[in-house]
Order: sequence, then structure tokens, then C-alpha cells
Amino acid sequence: MSDAWTERLSEYIDRILPEGECVALEAHLEACASCRATLDELRRVVARARALDDRPPATDLWPGIATGIGLAPGAHPVVSLVQRRARRRFAFTVPELAAAAIALAILSGGAAWLVLRGSKAVPVATTATPAPMPMLVNAGAPGTNARYAAAVADLERALEQGRGRLDTATVRVIEKNLSIIDRAIREAQSALAADPGNAYLNLHLAEQMRRKLELLRRANALAGARS
Amino acid sequence: MELTTSGVATLRRDRDQAAGDAEAADAALAASGDGRAFERLYRVHVARIHSLARRMIDSDAADDVTQDVFIRAWTKLGTFRGEAAFGTWLYRLAMNVILARRTTLGSERGRYDDSEGALETAARPGAAPELSMDLEEAMSRLPDGARQVFVLHDLEGYKHEEIAEMLGIVPGTSKSQLHHARMALRQHLE
Repeated sequence: MSDAWTERLSEYIDRILPEGECVALEAHLEACASCRATLDELRRVVARARALDDRPPATDLWPGIATGIGLAPGAHPVVSLVQRRARRRFAFTVPELAAAAIALAILSGGAAWLVLRGSKAVPVATTATPAPMPMLVNAGAPGTNARYAAAVADLERALEQGRGRLDTATVRVIEKNLSIIDRAIREAQSALAADPGNAYLNLHLAEQMRRKLELLRRANALAGARS
Repeated sequence: MELTTSGVATLRRDRDQAAGDAEAADAALAASGDGRAFERLYRVHVARIHSLARRMIDSDAADDVTQDVFIRAWTKLGTFRGEAAFGTWLYRLAMNVILARRTTLGSERGRYDDSEGALETAARPGAAPELSMDLEEAMSRLPDGARQVFVLHDLEGYKHEEIAEMLGIVPGTSKSQLHHARMALRQHLE
């Protein structure tokens, strides 16, 4: 069997193989029983896929939808888990959000300052403050973004100064995780640019931002504990 | 009376036209707040939307995604102008929701495992004949990227260039993923 030709069989089936290669492949098929058999199998896969029927869900989703759009008696307007979560978290007032975001920024800045001073008192308990939760709901707000960026920058500066106190393996793990979270943030922002009103995406972006903040705090706490 | 071929075709066209008209009427009623009309639209289209969600994401998330699609459709019915069939409009909406969800799920999983090893093991049939999977089950075991390309190309009829744009990959990757998905799935042919 010719591996080189086997790789081109799908393009041949889909009629997107350039004409010259098409002729050469057909000549090869004349002589290669294995490729002919593979071609036949691939064609059957395509035919089977095209013949697949749509199947309804195992359980009727209408009652949930009816409740979600307020058609059922006593219904709440949203039913899906994602939207329910989003709705719950959107249930803060603007003053509450602003206050919580400011408190969070101050707490983050305070933790960074403590680390910068080399204090061993940077407590893990600081990371357990309930303040980050409101961050989840207003990730897209410009004011919050600025405060978030400032808090992250503070923590990153602190971590840069404290990274010498961490062993190489720990630094590698932290950097890898930060990279994954940054990628998730970029993807969420990109998806949100196409669908700005998507509550799930807003929630997801906020969650990734919170994760980054939390990881930076923990890393700083770890560096502080080892000073 | 015996119908000619053209007579059967005319009847079918009339029936399709009537169904389309009824659907357009239901869409208009639903847009004005008629829940029963919206339920009729749901009954007609739920299998299509749920199957798309199940194949593109996974069966665990399909119910939730389907609910999201219909709830979103209800809130956006005012933007449906009847220029395309309601089913086409709903399908586009569903695809947008699914692609957005796919992006975030991909991030949550960290990365897609689309290596050849994963492709080979994911779609391998059971050793005993009675354990062999049907094509849907085999598809569900493919790595995300290969499965999504396969669904979009072979089931939904998109071209590689379109798939590349939808999934944020290059057309060459789409071609390669499709071929490897088909190669893995051919093991399930009876």
C-alpha cells in the first residue's frame, strides 16, 4: 500500500484533488488492491454519514424551555444551567459591583505590596477572601478591566521579584498554567467579540480572569512563604 | 386516478410550500408571544438542533445547548424577517451558539488531543462483534477537532475553506482531520 496515495484518497473522493494528481492516483489504483479497498471503505463511511438521521433528545426539553422563556405557570425566565448561573451572578447591583471591585483591587495591591516588602506574612488566607466573586459578573466593564489589569500587573511584578525564591519546576508549572489561562482569556474575548451578549461567554471570561488572579496570588503567597 | 411523476412532484412541492407557509405563520405568531406556535416550531426542529449539538460538542452538553438555542431563538424572533426559511435561520443561530460553546469548552479542556494515536484508539471497535459501535457512537469517540471537521464536512456539507474559518484552523488541517476521521471510522463498517 502506498501511504502517500492513501493520504490523498479523501481528496479524491471529494473531487478536490488537482487534475494531474487525480490521473496519477487513478493509475496507482489500477495496480494497488489495498488502496482500492481503502477507497471503497472511505466511500462507504461518507455514504453512511450522509444517511445518518437526526434523532430527538432522549427526554423532552420543551418543559424546560417553556419555563425558561416564562411560558410555564410560575416560571422563572431562564432555565438552562449556564444561563441560570449567569443570571445568579448578574444579580448584583452596580454599587455593589463597584465596591467589590475596588475592594478586590485594594486587597490585590495590598498582597503585592506585602510580597514586594519580602514579608513572610503574605497569608494564603488573603487569597481566600470572598471578594473575587463579583469580578465574575462584570468582566466586560471598562472600569473593572482597568482595575483588574492593575491588580494583575501588581501581582506579576511581585511574582517577578519573588520568583528567585521558587524552584525551577514550580516556576515552570506556574508559567504553563498562566499560559493556558491567558489562551483561554484570549479565546473567550475573541468569541465575545462575535457574540457580545452571550452570558455564558461573559461568565467564562470572568472565570478565566479570576483563575489568573487566583493563580498569581497563590504563586506570590508561595514565594513569600519561602523568603 | 393514477398520478404522473410530474403530478407527484407538484403535490410534494405544494406540501413543502404549505409546510413552509405554516412555519412562517408560526414564526410570526411566536414573535408576537404565542407560546403554542413556538412549541410547534420546537417540535419540528428539535431533532435537527439536538443532533447537531450532540455531534459537534457531546451528548452530555447537547441538552443544555439545545435549550440555550431555543431560548435564544425566542428572544431573537423579532429579528427573523422571513427572508430565509425559519429552519435555516434557526440552524444559523444554533451553529453560532455551538461554535461559541465549542471555543470555551476547548479552553476548559486545555487542548484538543488530535494526535494520530488518539484517532486510532478513539474509534477502535470492540474486540467482540456484539460490542461494535454504530457510526454515531464511533464519531463521539473521535478527538474533538477530527469529529467536528467530519460532522461539518460529511454531514453538514461545508467546504474546507468554510470549516477552516469556523474552527479557526487552516484548510489543510481541515482536509487532514477529515481524512484521519474517515480512516478511523472505516473500522466500524460492517
